[in-house]
Amino acid sequence: MALKDFRAMMERDSYCNSCKWIPYDKIKSQRFAENCPTNLYYQFHLYSVRGKWQAGQTYLDTQEGTIGKDELIKQYPYDFNTAPEFLESVQSCMACGSCDVSCKICRFNLEPLAYNIELKNEAILRGFILPKQKKMIEALKTEQTMIPNAKKAKRQDWAKGIEFAAKTDTYFYPGCKYSYDPKLKAYAKKAAQTLIDAGVKLGYLGDLDMCCAGRAYQQGFYDEFNERADANIKAFKAKGVKTIVTPCADCYHALKRLYAARGMKVKVLHLVEYLDELIKAGKIKFTKNVNLTVTYHDPCHLGRQGEPYVAWNGKEKKIMHQVHTWDPPRPRYNGANGIYEAPRDVIKAIPGVQLVEMERIREYALCCGAGANAQLNFPELSAATASERITEANSTGADALVTACPWCEANFKNAVDENGKGIEVIDIIDLVARAL
Amino acid sequence: MAINQEAYKELELIVGKRWISQDIAERECYRSIMAESSAHSGPYDGETPLPGAVILPGSTEEVQAIVKICNKYDIHFKACSTFWSVMGFIGDDDSLQIDMKRMKKMEFHERDQYVIVEPYCIGAVVQVEAMKRGFNVNMAGVGCSSSTLAGASSWVAFGPSSCFMGVASENFLAVEWVLPNGDLLRTGTLGSGGDWFCGEGPGPSVRAILRGAQGTAGSFGVCTRLAVRLHPWPGPTCLPTYGTVPAYKLVPTWNLKTYTLNFPDWDGYANTINFLSQNQDIAYLGHRQYNMWGRYIKLAMIKLLIEPGGQLADLPKYMADPFIKEQTEKCRIDLQVVIVGMTKRDLEWKEKAIDEILRRVGGWKNEFMLQPEVHDWVLLYLLRLGHKNLNYTLCSSYEGSGGLSNNVFVTSKVMEEYHELREEFDKTHNGLAATGGDSEMGALSTLGGGGITGYEFFQWFDRHDRESVKGCCDFIQNYSQKLCDKYGFGADMGNWNMTARHPDTGYYYTQDEQNAMFVNSPQPGLQIYQYLVKKAFNPLDLCGSYYRTLDPEYWEANHK
Repeated sequence: MALKDFRAMMERDSYCNSCKWIPYDKIKSQRFAENCPTNLYYQFHLYSVRGKWQAGQTYLDTQEGTIGKDELIKQYPYDFNTAPEFLESVQSCMACGSCDVSCKICRFNLEPLAYNIELKNEAILRGFILPKQKKMIEALKTEQTMIPNAKKAKRQDWAKGIEFAAKTDTYFYPGCKYSYDPKLKAYAKKAAQTLIDAGVKLGYLGDLDMCCAGRAYQQGFYDEFNERADANIKAFKAKGVKTIVTPCADCYHALKRLYAARGMKVKVLHLVEYLDELIKAGKIKFTKNVNLTVTYHDPCHLGRQGEPYVAWNGKEKKIMHQVHTWDPPRPRYNGANGIYEAPRDVIKAIPGVQLVEMERIREYALCCGAGANAQLNFPELSAATASERITEANSTGADALVTACPWCEANFKNAVDENGKGIEVIDIIDLVARAL
Repeated sequence: MAINQEAYKELELIVGKRWISQDIAERECYRSIMAESSAHSGPYDGETPLPGAVILPGSTEEVQAIVKICNKYDIHFKACSTFWSVMGFIGDDDSLQIDMKRMKKMEFHERDQYVIVEPYCIGAVVQVEAMKRGFNVNMAGVGCSSSTLAGASSWVAFGPSSCFMGVASENFLAVEWVLPNGDLLRTGTLGSGGDWFCGEGPGPSVRAILRGAQGTAGSFGVCTRLAVRLHPWPGPTCLPTYGTVPAYKLVPTWNLKTYTLNFPDWDGYANTINFLSQNQDIAYLGHRQYNMWGRYIKLAMIKLLIEPGGQLADLPKYMADPFIKEQTEKCRIDLQVVIVGMTKRDLEWKEKAIDEILRRVGGWKNEFMLQPEVHDWVLLYLLRLGHKNLNYTLCSSYEGSGGLSNNVFVTSKVMEEYHELREEFDKTHNGLAATGGDSEMGALSTLGGGGITGYEFFQWFDRHDRESVKGCCDFIQNYSQKLCDKYGFGADMGNWNMTARHPDTGYYYTQDEQNAMFVNSPQPGLQIYQYLVKKAFNPLDLCGSYYRTLDPEYWEANHK
């Protein structure tokens, strides 16, 4: 879709402000009731998808040269140059999709998340690329990674010492963050070793292991994403890959949803799904108690955005004169089929671990603050969002915050709550490893 | 287009650079596209004017300082919190839009059963925090996404719980009010140095000025804090839910029940409303809610909404389902009630009371609505009112018409005529969603002082489709208003709102324009009285024309 294809949605949006709150039926306190990281931080209407639906209309009118067609209604043209806050609202959106879930409690004909990303693409097409985005895209093109300054030659270092299966159709796909981050590499190793020890014939792509580019997509870099995705899909096919296991939520979303939309037929599992399966099958047995009370953070791209891709090609069809439907019925991504139980079941299976829940969980979880690379592009906003989440985690009384995404983990590790207090952040891989 | 830069700098000094903006896109999204909002404003293409700047104050002191700057530089301003309705938006060029989002503190006084709220405390969070303490608050019909303070202080704000808790104007106590000149007025007991427990004093009582029947719609300065009554809540301290998004349901609790009462005729319906209003401890909530979607589709809509994968495309399938079809026919005349047992015996008594009412009027409980999953979904819906956006779900926009604000025995007599009017319209016009003639929502929920009930007659249209927009205008202006005129029900809501701003440009009306509009109104004393009030409280007229006024001298000289 192009931005102009969102015109009907822009005009059909309403002033309910649901996009600024978790689903109203799920609110448990005033303190943790709001959902949009950028709106929480900036507060202005523009920094919500509701504001952007409205602002986008005049932006589009300006681009299309139709502004002022109605003499009665005064309109004032603008673009990203003349409305810098519009640009900032577009670029700072974390593409976390929480507005999308809340909106779709009642609405069937709006796609807020897709619109947010489309606006980002529009900014890129108009040449508005942030300095950190430039570096990221350079790294993607030259070193096939999302991590600026990382070198391709070092990508496989984490895997040293692991005996991967030479002949298999199941491959481990650690993703850039686990491959390069010195604090996280060890978890990639533990994850792969745990699967191998449980009897999985696990392979590694080696030289073919490259960035999924999912985070490029989140920031609106469609062309760069498509190029990388198509190259990866080709490589997977050549290698005979049938199943991919990844510990990274962003990779999971990219491969399962975005690659599937480009024709990939590979089965994609997040590590927690596989661990859950192995634990339930008795192939992973715990031998130690881990006496901790933990709370679990649902990563956006494993939770609400972790739904499977459903192919659809149809058009709008009105019934009863004006009721909006699609022919054939359109898949409705609203977080219902995200991955929520598997990580919780893994945590609950670990002896001694007690799971306590935060208020914003599952499909209405708050973003960690690293979505759409905000930790690099908008560090203050990102830190404020992480702090908000740590505050919520600490309010549960938990000893530690567990997550299943390296981007969330890294962002939380540097954060403190509103009282300056941190919390131990545990990778779910590490939590499992502690009990083995 | 932009406000005076000297004034802007002074405003910036008050709130700091972070909380004021004159970015063109920022201002643009503080315009109301009138057809999108529920403001019943036409002609559905119009937008309210572009604000000169947008400001987010963080305290009452900041609001006062802002208003004083507006007085100093003659800047028109309007404060709003949740922007559901077009009436919250500015109506003149170069005006200042005050967004109250940063003011959201709450202070509970359990012993005295009230809570002090700031403007951005929406209904959902006030209710959530009240329930933790064993209380509930009257939720305005606009839904839990809107400001509790705005509903109580500034607009009609009936709600399903009003039959038990009273309408909004009966719920607020003392108020902290920044007057249009920037002075601070503390009303009721607060004004005499006491707590917030009484709006009438000792201390200044200005309920009639601040509220009246409908409220000033934000035309008289800014209410920055207000105390609202807390009502008993014997349910769980947090509403526990089950079910997959978006079909959340309330975990059954022994003392919370909801029924959809059906009636063989409108007399039975009106008598039931009468019974329940005269015995206000029977129903905790009462509302003709789901009929808003239309008589023919309401149960099919509920069926698709309780299914996690439900789609509007499922409507024909569900409408053809024999059980739903049968139950929909039986649900032609309906009313939803929630009963809440304070004790086991109390619940038993309320159950018996409902059964006895139904026996007397020949009514019954709708079987479709008794299914456990439906029951639990409806109960959560009515208690939280968290589905306001379903007002837009069918085809993106709606308009309330009908003007049925009158005694229930009067209004119920003409329901079938409204139904037939819409049915006839739909046979020859495609502009509105043809969902079943009668789409009147309201009644018991709107029962305020004097026995007046109110309805919204929903017309669903697609703002993106110009033919649909025209169809909605056509129906309201050429059909439903004529029926209002025939029965003397006053202005249709759609037309009524058009007396507050120019329907084409969104500008507020000037006093001269209001004079011409109201000079021959049937009860001009109302607008003349408001003129005198405005002269006293808002002489510079900085906050717009939602407060209808008529200059008595003009009336003397020109009325027929």
